[in-house]
Amino acid sequence: MKIAVCLKQILDPEVPARDFKVDAAKREAEQGGANLVTNIFCENALETALQIRDAAGSGEIVALSVGPAGAEDVLRKALALRADQAVLVVNDADTNPDPLFVAKTLAAAIKKIGGVDVVMVGREAGDWGAGQTGGLLAEELAIPCISFAEGFEPGATPGTIKVKRQTDAGFEVIEAPTPLVLTITNHDKNVPRIPKTRDVMQSYRKPLEKWTLSDLGVDGSTSHAYSQVAELFIPKKETKCEFIEGDTVEAKIDALAKRIGDILRAM
Amino acid sequence: MNDPQNATREVLWNIHHAWIMYALLVPTMAVCAWGFYRRIQLWRKGRAEVRFDRPAERVKLVLKYAVLQLRTWRRSYPGVFHAMIFWGFVTLFIATVVVLIDYDFGIPIMRGRFYLYFQSLFVDILGAAAIVGTLMAAFRRIVLRPKYLVYNTESKIILLAILAMLVTGFLIEGWRIAATDDPWGAWSPVGKVVANVSKPLMSHEALLISHRVGWWTHLALVFAFIAWAPFSKMAHVLNSSLNVYTGRLEPVGASLKKLDFEKDEKLGVSALADFTWKDLLDFDACTECGRCTAVCPANRVGKILSPRDIILDLQHRMRAPDADFAASYIGSTEALSPEAMWECTTCAACMQACPVLIEQMPKIVDTRRFLVMEDAEFPETMQQALNSLETRGHPMRGTSFNRVDWTQGLKISTMAEAKDAEVLLWVGCGGALVERNQNVVRSLAQLLEKAGVSFAILGREEKCTGDPARRIGNEFLFETLAQDNIATLDRYGVKKIVTSCPHCFNTLGNEYPQWGGKYEVYHHSEFLAKLVADGKLSGDMPSSQKVTFHDPCYLGRHNGIYDAPRQLVQIATGAAPIEMEQNRSNGFCCGGGGGMSFIDEPPNQRVNQERARQALETDADVVAVGCPFCMTMLEDGINARKGDRDVKVMDIAELLWQSVEEKTSGATS
Repeated sequence: MKIAVCLKQILDPEVPARDFKVDAAKREAEQGGANLVTNIFCENALETALQIRDAAGSGEIVALSVGPAGAEDVLRKALALRADQAVLVVNDADTNPDPLFVAKTLAAAIKKIGGVDVVMVGREAGDWGAGQTGGLLAEELAIPCISFAEGFEPGATPGTIKVKRQTDAGFEVIEAPTPLVLTITNHDKNVPRIPKTRDVMQSYRKPLEKWTLSDLGVDGSTSHAYSQVAELFIPKKETKCEFIEGDTVEAKIDALAKRIGDILRAM
Repeated sequence: MNDPQNATREVLWNIHHAWIMYALLVPTMAVCAWGFYRRIQLWRKGRAEVRFDRPAERVKLVLKYAVLQLRTWRRSYPGVFHAMIFWGFVTLFIATVVVLIDYDFGIPIMRGRFYLYFQSLFVDILGAAAIVGTLMAAFRRIVLRPKYLVYNTESKIILLAILAMLVTGFLIEGWRIAATDDPWGAWSPVGKVVANVSKPLMSHEALLISHRVGWWTHLALVFAFIAWAPFSKMAHVLNSSLNVYTGRLEPVGASLKKLDFEKDEKLGVSALADFTWKDLLDFDACTECGRCTAVCPANRVGKILSPRDIILDLQHRMRAPDADFAASYIGSTEALSPEAMWECTTCAACMQACPVLIEQMPKIVDTRRFLVMEDAEFPETMQQALNSLETRGHPMRGTSFNRVDWTQGLKISTMAEAKDAEVLLWVGCGGALVERNQNVVRSLAQLLEKAGVSFAILGREEKCTGDPARRIGNEFLFETLAQDNIATLDRYGVKKIVTSCPHCFNTLGNEYPQWGGKYEVYHHSEFLAKLVADGKLSGDMPSSQKVTFHDPCYLGRHNGIYDAPRQLVQIATGAAPIEMEQNRSNGFCCGGGGGMSFIDEPPNQRVNQERARQALETDADVVAVGCPFCMTMLEDGINARKGDRDVKVMDIAELLWQSVEEKTSGATS
């Protein structure tokens, strides 16, 4: 079983609110003093893949990322957790491409890697929260996609897997043929493990493949061809205090009701 | 005839075939030596460690802790009886040497006034004291039965043997005095009593036979005891003395070992073979007194951690005939379970309590290193703290503050802005990122400003010193953080550092030098006390507030600073702090050290609540602290227990600033 896990490097979602700033002109978040981290749902996906490999006693995990050169960090971490192979598709030109562009790039990389049975992505990323890459990727690869999956086990017949996915009402268990894409969600059993120190030390000595967009035949100029952010701002929170006047309690109630009505209409 | 100048006694009186004694002495000493040799061979299985350097300082350790036994005295009852037995036996040993010199070497020293005053009177009194001491020890073991002792047959046999040696000694002395009508008998009061009681009851023949049988019995007991000593707890006479000689010369705060990530095949310790020879000697030096476990805060609140049992279980493992030095001990007993290792606050109360300078806490951290770095198995909340350290440079997950938020409204420069600042104010994660502590660093900064100190902060360039990473066991992460910080500090040419966090204080001052970062580091209590002494600050406002002071472990036990914070309380409120039942080197941890502030303790086993109880018992209005972790832990504890009372937890800097401000406003109004 060969599993490709897609990992996205994002701005630390735990950056203190006061430090979070956006660049309105560029329509993206400013990094400022914040750190870059691996998206948590991607970490859940990697953990799920590691557990499946541990349980099976065999299998191959390829960690894959699209991003600037610095995204190597998330792949080194994956190698420290003993992913078998790591591939970075370097895209320095645009740090915030739209999801379809990312999906097309990932699809091209997965085809180049070859022989992948299951592609795992996080259900969404902690920066934009679009949650589209998984579905679009399946579309690009022309294979099925199961969203909000917790994990899988071998299916009843060879070439299939049994996937448990979360729904609003509970769970569904779906048996599906491979290859396919799973978008992984978090649950109490896929809390990311931490690496052993020796593995961290060795992760820097392990090979890490770097491909360019042109290696994959992807046109970098199309990184915003499919969608664009029209405007980006941090909503202003305002607190105002008003006193409702009135001679009697009834008059105050009437005035209050009228004021609430005015405010609602204004919104 | 009764001229004291001629006073002496006949050595080996009434004893025939004394050569048997000399003949027995050889195998006795051989067995004893072989026993200790076997011990030494065990220790030699450990890894290298330098512990024979600086002999002058080591001799001082021996004088303090092996001869004067200063630590043993910290508990008065056992302190008294141990001293009686110890000095009793030392005296008896000297008396035996006197006999040896006089009789065997033919140098006549055992006579005259020396014979009467020392060899007879003094030896008798000290021998009697040893009997009293032994009975006191037996009384404690049989009747008082404190929880911290180890109860086994060996301990009883030792007491019985000591008692038998002493009693037979006095009996033969008495029977000799009675049979020889020794004119100097009264100089041996205990022997004389035995003589006076025996004489009317026993014929001369009976006295002679009893003396002879008694003498050989006494000899047999003593020789058997000497031969057996290295195989029993009595080995502590040598093992513990050697352990004291090879004890740590640096402060407790500098007791963790540096690792070599390039060469070490295993990170941390999980088997006997991973320990150094000094660690192995530690196991053998243990006298089972149990004081470490008695003072352990985790043990006190009902957790399974027991430093005594960690040492003893490893001792038994090491001494087992089929000891496997390569096998992992982790989880082999309850005391050696990972759960126990994750209960230690690294407060070092155990190390401070140990009469023979055993170093329990570093062994726990060594084991944690293995669990964290080799096994990657440790409590999830600690993992999160370390993750945060790695990605954000601080362990305070979920904080809504950045490192400079606390400076709002104050004019505080960063080193980047004020390169010529004389002092670096090291704020620490606890100071900058936990809301309650921001007022502490604000107070400190304002005090420094008021005193005209030229200071600056690193601001966003500051990273955690790595203390939590090191105590949790991720030495690799600690080294990374240390190297980053040292690079930053050296870039600005920092020489003098003040910090309100004892953990930062300890790491910067005691640990960074090992990585080449050498700075003059002060805890704010010392620095502020000096500013007051130099007349640059004055508080001295009489206050009606009753204040108690909680000693931070990393300031007190780890670095021996107890007076400076108390002076500050005195300066700020006009009165010395009321002491809690446990204070200074015997202080009780807040529960937050060693990464434990990142653990959710079971509600019925919270160390901070026990400390809060002690603080509330003083009836103080203010519990003064000198550490951001103590602040959080004690505030939680006090709030949970104070009921309707108005009790505040305040840092000494806040107290002083309050007092300085009051004085200023008082002077201007």
